[in-house]
Amino acid sequence: MEIDIHAKSFAGRPVLGPIRLTLGQGQRVAILGPSGIGKTTFLRIVAGLDEDFEGTVTEIGRTTVVFQEPTLLPWRTALENITLPAGVTAEVARALMAEVGLAGKDALYPRQLSLGQQRRLALARAFAPAPSTLLMDEPFASLDAETAGRMLDLTAALLDRAGASLIFVTHDPAEAAHLKAQPMTLRGSPATLS
Amino acid sequence: MILSLAAFLGLWAIVAALVAEPVTMPGPLRVWTVLVDETASGRLLANTGVTLLRVIAAFVVAMGIGVALGLILGRSGRTDRWLNPWLVILVNMPALVVTVLCYIWIGLNEVAAVAAVVINKVPLVTVMVREGARALRPDLDDMARIFRMPPGARLRHVVLPQMAPYIAGAARAGLSLIWKIVLVVEFLGRSSGVGFQIHLNFSMFRVAHILAYAFAFILVMLVIEYLLLRPLERHASRWRQDGD
Repeated sequence: MEIDIHAKSFAGRPVLGPIRLTLGQGQRVAILGPSGIGKTTFLRIVAGLDEDFEGTVTEIGRTTVVFQEPTLLPWRTALENITLPAGVTAEVARALMAEVGLAGKDALYPRQLSLGQQRRLALARAFAPAPSTLLMDEPFASLDAETAGRMLDLTAALLDRAGASLIFVTHDPAEAAHLKAQPMTLRGSPATLS
Repeated sequence: MILSLAAFLGLWAIVAALVAEPVTMPGPLRVWTVLVDETASGRLLANTGVTLLRVIAAFVVAMGIGVALGLILGRSGRTDRWLNPWLVILVNMPALVVTVLCYIWIGLNEVAAVAAVVINKVPLVTVMVREGARALRPDLDDMARIFRMPPGARLRHVVLPQMAPYIAGAARAGLSLIWKIVLVVEFLGRSSGVGFQIHLNFSMFRVAHILAYAFAFILVMLVIEYLLLRPLERHASRWRQDGD
């Protein structure tokens, strides 16, 4: 994936300056920086959700996102929350659910799962379409240290197996180290990567 | 509930007995006799059936147009700014005026009758559904885009479930409104249906008949509410149950 952002501004106020980043296959990068610096803005541009910027993002293969919140469809079952968005068969979805420790929870609705289980479901969904790049936006921010640690191990295992590259937005350098992601920091105004 | 209904019938019987004018103020027993007679002759079933068919036709068309329009207006600010003044005019247009104009412009036929009801109803559905479309969750929109969900799947699995309470509200408000308007439309320009029967019996001053037809139709509407709408709503809200 090649990211070449020249500038991004909100209502005339520049937020991001020039940012160039080339991500090879399986490469892991962590984007660090204080809140409000533009980490989420950067990730939304890379994800293709924000097209109002100067520059180009060239995707190779598919990119999926693990959002800050689980962002599940509350009115569909756990299994359907993988099969419907990702467009995969029930078998693929079941295998992934087993991998994240949700075996047998197929027919439950998101409200009937704990928050930790919802996050694992969102993680399984992100891996379902066999992405070549995974984007994560502070997905463990609201978890206790122990649960976050287990989620990090799980994410690392899934990334290893899928061979996907990773852009991981976080404010916690320890999380970046845990995932063996090369730390980079957004700083300045407008923010650039260093 | 049974006690409350019994009290209603009792009060009605007492008032009717005090007024003592069985033609203009018939008691419950007399209305019941008429109801039985009209049912036996087949007239009640035929007229109620015709009215019900008109209600269903108008309901389906009005909900279809109203939901589609509400979704578009709720999601596109520009279209909304353009069409909102029209909506305001239509919402406040008296049902009677729309009906009369439809009969004049389209003719005294079935199409005009159903069109009149639909035009009366669409603005209300649109306004109610638009509120729902404005409240759609942007995070789920993002998710659907990231996972490249096709438009049909997005509508079915992401958009419509969020709209369900608003659509159900519009359907409920719609049904009771539609059947009242259908009666007006029948009263003014059809020669069948409950509205026509009320017109006929009004000109002959037969209050018992008017009440008999009204009660028959209330019964039909209650059956639809309890046997169709409520079970559907329960089915649509399964996911709201909490875990343990």
